[in-house]
Amino acid sequence: MQNPVPALQPGDTVPNGPLPDGSTLFEQRGRPVILAFASSEWNPAQAHQSEIFARLSEEFGSGAAFTESAPQAWHSLDYRGELATHLGVAGQRTLLLLDETGVLRWKTVVEPGQEIRPGQVLAALQALRPEPAEAPDLAAATGNEVITSGMSRRTFVLATLAAAALLALPSVVAAAPETISASITPTDDRSAMLPIELNINGKSHRLQLDPRTALLDALRENLHLTGTKKGCDHGQCGACTVHLDGHSALSCLTLAVMAQGKAITTIEGLAKGDTLHPVQAAFIKHDAFQCGYCTPGQIMSASALLADQHTRHSSAVEIREAMSGNLCRCAAYPNIIAAIQEAQRA
Amino acid sequence: MHPFQYQRAISGSQAVAAVAQNPEAAFIAGGTSQVDLLKEGVHQPNLLVDVAGLPLRQITDFEGGVRIGANATNTEAAYYPAIQARYPAVSEALLAGASVQIRNMATMAGNPLQRTRCPYFRDLDQPCNKRTPGSGCAAIGGYNHVHALFGASAACVATHPSDLAVALSALDARVQTTGPRGSRTIAFPDLHRLPGTTPHLDTVLEHGELITSIDLPAFAGRSHYLKVRERASYAYALASCAVALEMDGTKIKRARIALGGVAHKPWRTTSAEALLVGQRPTEKLFEAAATAAFADAKPLEHNAYKIPMGHNLLVRALLETSGLQPLQGPAGTAFAASVGGMAGQVATPN
Repeated sequence: MQNPVPALQPGDTVPNGPLPDGSTLFEQRGRPVILAFASSEWNPAQAHQSEIFARLSEEFGSGAAFTESAPQAWHSLDYRGELATHLGVAGQRTLLLLDETGVLRWKTVVEPGQEIRPGQVLAALQALRPEPAEAPDLAAATGNEVITSGMSRRTFVLATLAAAALLALPSVVAAAPETISASITPTDDRSAMLPIELNINGKSHRLQLDPRTALLDALRENLHLTGTKKGCDHGQCGACTVHLDGHSALSCLTLAVMAQGKAITTIEGLAKGDTLHPVQAAFIKHDAFQCGYCTPGQIMSASALLADQHTRHSSAVEIREAMSGNLCRCAAYPNIIAAIQEAQRA
Repeated sequence: MHPFQYQRAISGSQAVAAVAQNPEAAFIAGGTSQVDLLKEGVHQPNLLVDVAGLPLRQITDFEGGVRIGANATNTEAAYYPAIQARYPAVSEALLAGASVQIRNMATMAGNPLQRTRCPYFRDLDQPCNKRTPGSGCAAIGGYNHVHALFGASAACVATHPSDLAVALSALDARVQTTGPRGSRTIAFPDLHRLPGTTPHLDTVLEHGELITSIDLPAFAGRSHYLKVRERASYAYALASCAVALEMDGTKIKRARIALGGVAHKPWRTTSAEALLVGQRPTEKLFEAAATAAFADAKPLEHNAYKIPMGHNLLVRALLETSGLQPLQGPAGTAFAASVGGMAGQVATPN
C-alpha cells in the first residue's frame, strides 16, 4: 500500500492534524513541538525500539533537563495511528521536531539497531525556543563565517545535533568472562534488563536482555544469527527450531533467560567448517525446498531426529510423524522425507 | 507482553515461598503453553519463578509403579521403558500430542496444567470468565464445536486440552505437591476442577503449590489411549479416551475409563466402569458401556457430533484394550493412539 501523503522534509510547513489529547497541531504553534512516532505495542523482536521512546519520555517527564514547556511539547504517538498516516511517517519510528511556526526543522527516522540520545533531542528543543532578536555582531563574535553565510544559528545547531543524535545500539555486550550467579535477584524495575549468557554453537555470548525476550529474538535481533527463522512465533510452524542440549526445541517458545546453561545449536552451527551436515547435503541433493524459509527448521528437526536413539531408525511414516511440527507451505514434503532417508543411510 | 521479573529458583521451598507471597507470581518450567499465553497477553504475571533447574527430573521405579519427576520432559517419560511397556496409555497419549519439539520442552507437571484451547480464552477482545472473571462466556452463544458435553456451567463450557491428563486420570495417578501449607498427595482425578462459578481456577492447587512428581501406581492390566482429531498429527483431540482394564481370567475385574475433549477435566465415567466389572468382554457389552458413558451428555449448538464420535471411540478403545480388535500400531506409540492413522498411513512394526 502506498503512503497517501508524501513524506515531509525539513523546511516544510507541517499540515494540521489531531493530537491524542484532543488538541490540534496548529494549536501547538508558538512553541517548539516534538512528535515521536513508535509502535504502541511492546514487540519482543524490537524491545529496544520501544525502550528508546520510553527513555525519552522519562527525560521529559522528569523535567530536569528542560523545564519550561517540555511536557506540553512532547507528544508520543502510535506510528500506526491517524496522525502518522497524515504526516507520511506510518510504520516508521520517527522523531519530528517542529519550530514555533509549525515548520519541520528536524526529521529523524530511527532504524532498527539505532538509538536516540535523549540529551541531543533536549538540546535541539532548547535551540528551537523563540529567541530574542539576534545581535548583528553574533557571527563576528563566534568567528564562524559559515553560520553567517546563509545558515541561522538555530539551523546550524539543529543540523549538528541531528548528526550526533543517533547512536548504534550496543545490543551485544562484550565483557570479560564472569559467572552469573544462579539466582537473579529481581529489582523494583519490572522487566529490567538482565545479564544473560548464552552458549551458542560452542561460543559464549553475553547480552543484556529484557526477560521477556524469546530465544528466537535474541538470536536474530541481538546476535544477528538470522538463519533461525520466525514463522508463526507461537509454536505452530517449527521454522524457529534449534537444538537445546542436542534435542530439537522451539526458540520462539523459549525465554532467552531460561536457555542459559544449555548448549544451543542453530543452523549456523550445524556444518563442520566447510563440510555440510549430512542432512544439509541431502536437502540440497534432493531439492527438499522451494522458497527455503522453513528449511533451517526442517534441517534442525531432521538432524535431531537422526541423532536420537529413539527415532534414528524411523520408517518413512515415522519420519513423517516426527516431522509434523515443521510446516512447509511450498509442500516440499516428499523431497524432505527423501532427504532425511538419504541422511539416515549415510 | 506484560513486564515481569524473572527469578531462577534455588530450591523447591524457595520457589514456593517466592510464588506464595506474591499473588501475581507464577511458576514456569517448560514454558511451551505459558510463553504463548504471555505473548497473547492472556497470562500477565509480574514475577516468573523458573523451576526448570530444580532436581525434579528423575523417573524411577517406585512402590511397584513409576515415579515421574515433575521436570521430566514429555519425551523422556514417553520413552521410559517401564512406562512404555506397563503404562502404554501414557506413552500413547504423550506421543500423539503436540510435536517432537514441544514434547522435548514440555514437562510432565506442566502438561496437565496447560490452559484450555477455547479460542475465546485467547482472544482479549472477547468476554471469557476463565480469563477475566465476571466478563461472561463468548463460547456459550458462539462457535462451540470444540466445547464440553459434560460438567459445564453457565459460566464456562471450555474443555481441558491435555492428552496426558486423560491417561493419568484413567490410571489413577497420584500427584505429589509441596506448597505453602506443606506437602500432600492428590489423586489425579481430583486435580482438575469443574468450572462451576469459578472457571478461572483450573485445578485444586493452591497459589504457590508446586507439583514435585506424578506417581503411577502399580498396575498389572492393559491400558490404551485413543484420540480423534482434525488433522493426522499435531492437533488437539476433538474427543479421546483412555482405558485401563484389569482381568480376572476371562472376566473384567476392574475397568477405568476417562474421556478427553468433552469436559473441563478428564471425564471419568463411573457408570460405564461399573457396568463392565465381572463381565466377559464383548462388543455388545462395550456398546452398552459407551451408551451409559454418554447418557448424560449435554451438547451445545455445535458439538453434538461429539456424542456419536465419542461413543464409537470408546467402543473401539475397549475392543482394542481387551484384545478383541488389534491395535492400529505398536502399543505405546502415536500410531496405536491415532484414529485414521498417521498422515493417511498405518505404521507396520519394523
